[in-house]
Amino acid sequence: MNSELHSPWDHLRIWVRQMAALVIKEFLQLGNDRGLLIFALYSFTGNILLAGGNASLELNNANLVVHDGDHSAASRELIYRFRQPYFRLVEEVADTRTGMQRVEQGRAMLFLDIPEHFAETLRRGTHTASVQLLVDTSRATRGYLASSYSVRIGASFSQDWAGQNAGRADSEELIPVIINQTRIRYNPTLNEAWFNSIGELLVMMTVMCILLPATALVREKERGTIEQLLVSPLSPFQIMFSKVVAMIGVSVAGVALSLLGIMGPLFAVPCRGSIWLFFVLTALFAFTSAGLGLLIATFARNAAQVGMLVLFSVMPIVVLSGTFTPRDSMPPAVNAIMVLSPLRHFIEIAYGILLRGAGVETLWDSALAMLALGCLLFGIGLWRFRRQLE
Amino acid sequence: MNGARLLAVASKEFREVMRDRVLFLLTFLMPPMMMLVFAYGMSQDIEHVPFVIVDYDRSALSRDYAYHFTASRYFAFQGYATTEKAADEMMAHGDIRFILIIPERFQARLLADRSTEVQSLIDGTFTMPVRSIRAYIEAIGVEASGEMLREYTARHSGVQELPEPFRVEVRYLYNQEVRTAWTLAPMLIMMILIWTTPLLMALSVVREKEIGSIYNMYASTVSRAEYLAGKLLPNVVFSSIHVVILFLLATRYYGAPFKGSLAAFALVSLLYVISLSSLGLLISLVARVQQAALLMTIVLAGIVMEQYSGINTPIADMTGFNYVLAHLFPVMYYADAIQIAFLKGGGFRELGQDVLALAAYAVATLLLVHFLFRKRVRA
Repeated sequence: MNSELHSPWDHLRIWVRQMAALVIKEFLQLGNDRGLLIFALYSFTGNILLAGGNASLELNNANLVVHDGDHSAASRELIYRFRQPYFRLVEEVADTRTGMQRVEQGRAMLFLDIPEHFAETLRRGTHTASVQLLVDTSRATRGYLASSYSVRIGASFSQDWAGQNAGRADSEELIPVIINQTRIRYNPTLNEAWFNSIGELLVMMTVMCILLPATALVREKERGTIEQLLVSPLSPFQIMFSKVVAMIGVSVAGVALSLLGIMGPLFAVPCRGSIWLFFVLTALFAFTSAGLGLLIATFARNAAQVGMLVLFSVMPIVVLSGTFTPRDSMPPAVNAIMVLSPLRHFIEIAYGILLRGAGVETLWDSALAMLALGCLLFGIGLWRFRRQLE
Repeated sequence: MNGARLLAVASKEFREVMRDRVLFLLTFLMPPMMMLVFAYGMSQDIEHVPFVIVDYDRSALSRDYAYHFTASRYFAFQGYATTEKAADEMMAHGDIRFILIIPERFQARLLADRSTEVQSLIDGTFTMPVRSIRAYIEAIGVEASGEMLREYTARHSGVQELPEPFRVEVRYLYNQEVRTAWTLAPMLIMMILIWTTPLLMALSVVREKEIGSIYNMYASTVSRAEYLAGKLLPNVVFSSIHVVILFLLATRYYGAPFKGSLAAFALVSLLYVISLSSLGLLISLVARVQQAALLMTIVLAGIVMEQYSGINTPIADMTGFNYVLAHLFPVMYYADAIQIAFLKGGGFRELGQDVLALAAYAVATLLLVHFLFRKRVRA
């Protein structure tokens, strides 16, 4: 061997070559298992396709039963306002009892009960004329929507009536009303496919980035091939980091595939920020999650344990980071703990770049948090791994 | 089928879990942990929605109007933003979900008996709550506006203190306060089992394949059916214990009312557990290595839970392929059974359809598993 080998430059070159060999080994192991490959491919394509194609959460044609005890112009006007696309009048019943039965039997979702003398109370204006609305909330989300839409209908009915009382309903400009113009940003048509497909992609990435490196490391432990690597001139850092690099490759490729192959062309999911920034931060997310996966693997002895441990960590991460329910509807204590979840930071980044068109100047703190978290997780994992091997 | 041989396989499986202390602990910690996590995370209460106000008018009336929003329990006021740009920045970062903008001359126009416009900008990223948020904003806006209008009417007609003319009083059936944790807790039994039940099952056969101990079985007198049943039995027992734990948590801790027949519900649950275990067994036969089996189980559980359980999207609203797929997983039937047993107080008669569907599912999957499992090495 020649003496120049001792220069730092040569050391680096050897180090890089060793890493390359290890990364190729990881890719080969992933690629050799056809079942794994097919499933990974499906997760990033077919699965995203199905998630995006799923029907919306909008309230459509909720069955409404009405009891009109008043039979006045006012009551008919009110009933008319509970109309499609949200509500659909299926039956008018003779009394309150039958109406309630219809809801209990599950034949209607809502029952609107208009009392006698409804119009008269409205006309007199000395008391509030109220109607009862019974909502079946065994499906809570739709129940919420139904009741919030009803409240809105009620409020506008109330306003129109007051306007009529003021006698100048025809010239809205000339009465002191406040018109609240609501506008929806970033996804004005409330296209569910955008939200569903991005959410699904985030979940898939999290599961893969944590599970695959964790199982890869445990498999080496289980089979004893780790001993072979250790007697070779490779450092524990290289052994672990090569798995991270492989994972970064897999997830960037997977994200590119689903974003450019499925979500963009089929669902018109926009990328309003820089797509390169998105890929760079995807790589960072893969690093942080893989770090967590490797840390988990240092606690497990076999595949069953690692499976349980991954579930134990992936579940809270996916559910509590705010993938499908926004973060602000969770208790503050949960949010405080979730600072430790890589996904929580990546959600802000993903929705931020893709839909809200945010750039580095807005997202730098999330990116930095993720980087710090990644270094921390990987560092602890490496430390434990080294200690176990001594 | 020889009972003694079946039990021998089963007791071996039992011991494997019992002796792995970490695994044993995790197996029983998992369901309660998941219930806690899900109950927080899937709660769909739309309250404390964070928002800011950009008030260009800064008058008494604009503050009055803003008060209607800041005082609402649906919204959590995060303060006044000085400019729209600052508020935009906060929204782009995901800190707030809507911005209320009150223009200049708000008070001046109203005092001149003229109508005036304010603007609400809602973040549409999370589509699910947006519709409710919009409806609440509009309802609060109309209410605030109505108050002003009544004052105006009173001034013009000389009547003092008019009440609100009309109101819809909403009452909730089954679920008095729409406590989502209530509706959710029973459904969580279904969801958690999707994750925990097939997991160990999916590893059971593929582990033996990977280690090579499956050759012992190939050479033994144990028949295919005995071997599979022996694998299935301990898992069904563990999962049934999970059902009991989860049921007690749902009814005692979360206070979900159970109105139906306990025996009928137990039967449905048992069938559900068997169906899921068979699904796990199927994965175990298809997968070549444990890594793949784990990935398949977890990804499949995630997909099924989110998309085909009817929790997020009602099955009735699904279209085409998704509708068919939803019927191919056992979750839909169990979800339906839970609704009937918990909220609507159903017994054997009402649950009959779901019992049949789940039983058919379990039998079909087991037959498929039996067909796929060979006592020979695949070439």
